[in-house]
Amino acid sequence: MTSAVLEAESLVKIYGRGDSRFAALRGVDLRIRHGESVAVVGKSGSGKSTLMHLLALLDAPTHGTVSLDGRPAASMTARELNETRNAAFGFVFQQFYLTPDQTVLENVVLPLKIAGVRPGARRRRALDVLERLEVADKASSRAADLSGGQKQRVALARALVNDPSVIFADEPTGNLDSATGAVVQDLLFDLHREHGITLVVVTHDEDLAGRCGRQVHLHDGLVVDGAVAPAGAGAPGTDTGVVVGAAGGAR
Amino acid sequence: MRWPDLLGSAVANTRRAKIRATLTVLAVFIGAFALTLTSGMGTGVNRYIDDTVAAFGDADALYVQKSQPLIELSATSGPRAYDPDTTRIRTGFGVSFEGLTTEDIETIEGIDGVRSVKPMYSVAPTYLEAADGSRFQLSPGIPVDAVGLQMVAGGAPVAGRDEIAVPDSWVADLGFASAQDAVGGRVDVVMTNMAEEDRAFPATISGVTQASLVGTSLNPIPSDSFNERLYDYQVSGVPEEVPESFAMATVTVEDMARAPGIQARLEEHGMLGLTVEDQLGMFRAVINAIVWILNACAVIALVAAGLGIVNTLLMSVQERTREIGLMKAMGMSGGKVFGLFSLEAVFIGFLGAVVGAVTGVLGGSALSGALAEGFLSGLPGLALFAFEPWRVALIVLSVMGIAFLAGTIPAVRAARKDPIASLRHE
Repeated sequence: MTSAVLEAESLVKIYGRGDSRFAALRGVDLRIRHGESVAVVGKSGSGKSTLMHLLALLDAPTHGTVSLDGRPAASMTARELNETRNAAFGFVFQQFYLTPDQTVLENVVLPLKIAGVRPGARRRRALDVLERLEVADKASSRAADLSGGQKQRVALARALVNDPSVIFADEPTGNLDSATGAVVQDLLFDLHREHGITLVVVTHDEDLAGRCGRQVHLHDGLVVDGAVAPAGAGAPGTDTGVVVGAAGGAR
Repeated sequence: MRWPDLLGSAVANTRRAKIRATLTVLAVFIGAFALTLTSGMGTGVNRYIDDTVAAFGDADALYVQKSQPLIELSATSGPRAYDPDTTRIRTGFGVSFEGLTTEDIETIEGIDGVRSVKPMYSVAPTYLEAADGSRFQLSPGIPVDAVGLQMVAGGAPVAGRDEIAVPDSWVADLGFASAQDAVGGRVDVVMTNMAEEDRAFPATISGVTQASLVGTSLNPIPSDSFNERLYDYQVSGVPEEVPESFAMATVTVEDMARAPGIQARLEEHGMLGLTVEDQLGMFRAVINAIVWILNACAVIALVAAGLGIVNTLLMSVQERTREIGLMKAMGMSGGKVFGLFSLEAVFIGFLGAVVGAVTGVLGGSALSGALAEGFLSGLPGLALFAFEPWRVALIVLSVMGIAFLAGTIPAVRAARKDPIASLRHE
């Protein structure tokens, strides 16, 4: 049994005060082991994005602890948190968040630039990753000129360029048609398998969730039994997949 | 993020909203241009004063007079007790004033730090006669002033010869075709002695002086020895010897830094010693006040340009909120985000300042060339705008400083952004 890369203990996150007080998470426990792929699923407002933000150390919980490789995030300085996110995490978002008027290469080197890698090395590493994702020919194109699928590949390249141990993907196929989405999914799981990268995926997409090793269902800020079908569920067949996947996730 | 990358990103970012950045640079440019011009004018005029200080007199000398007002200025001051030992100097206005005596000269020589004392003989010629016989009034300048004269032609009058330098504006009236023509020409200085006898002293024109802002070069200046000859004749013609009296004495000091001490000692002895700097101080103060008022106007323009920088960067921060969120999520610290935006402000300031300073220097130099030919041709030697590299560099740096200060407001805003909220920003 491999050790946990991310460990959350009784996470509570409360936004606002007084009348506008809202508990997004109400006590979530979660262990994610090295090399695991986990889908966080649930309705909008169930707290899945909040959970991802806390796991990605982008925000601090109101109560409870998040630990990275056994080390509590609360004990890290702001600088260590920044360095950890830069070196250990990769982010993929639904809206890609590419800077449209920069070239693909400039977009991909951003995490390395932030890390302080020198121009020659970061260019080489970025081109390697673009090669691996088969978009190297677009390296000097403007990001705005790419198709949706190409943009998400570039975003994926940017998430991979710093050799992260965990990739957080927030609805990575949400803005893509099903064919392109399937290609991006394949890429994500290839990386997961071949490089042992831990995947944490927040999604509504049953198909994507079904391909993950384990599903975590959130409902009103709590982890519920995997048997509870997510609201707005698609085909029954995928539901089964979710249940099977959840059962397969060792706890 | 390393500093070269930060700077590179900041520079690249200014190119993303080209029109906006260009207009902001233009605003900074106007301020920097105005400041360069006004400061150049200050430098130009002050440099002109410095050059003419020499014409005004020897900068290393003290000009000593008996300390007393020519006219009683205060309503409460009573009559002054008569002192039979004082010597009076008659002036052309019917007013006589107390001159320096030979004892005074000895006193001055005794003061520590004084190298030499040269008494000034007050000469009042009756008239000056040109070669063609026309006569002109003449109140000659002081020979010591010859040191710093700026000459149009010829040279300063040399001691030991009967020489005189005349102003450029006199050349035509004295019957000469040009300044060059006048050099070597002859004039007669006619003196009247105590016995009311006239005598003509012929003099050679040694050179023609250039007009300047200070008045010394507006009078013909005789050589030292010629002046003394004229004085000797002026006081002759009476049986008893006229007690020697000097309107003024020129004191050369060993070290100008010790001048204040010597001035204090002179005051103790009832004498007033002024340096050229003292005499020019008022003039310089007025010029500097005008220049500072103009500078203040330019700085106001720069402050307005600074607000333009605040505005354009606030818009950038707003537009790039998601990008800021992304960079922060990827581990960029708030400090580096602050650096990114304030460097962008500094770069805008730098562009405006450099273009403004260069245009200011070129434009000012061209303008002062044109003015010297036309409007200001009456003041030869005056370059209205002059530029010192360190001053121009200081302007560029200050403008960048203002830009940095302006940039802090949007930069702090960017640095404080929460990554999650920023990424969700629409």
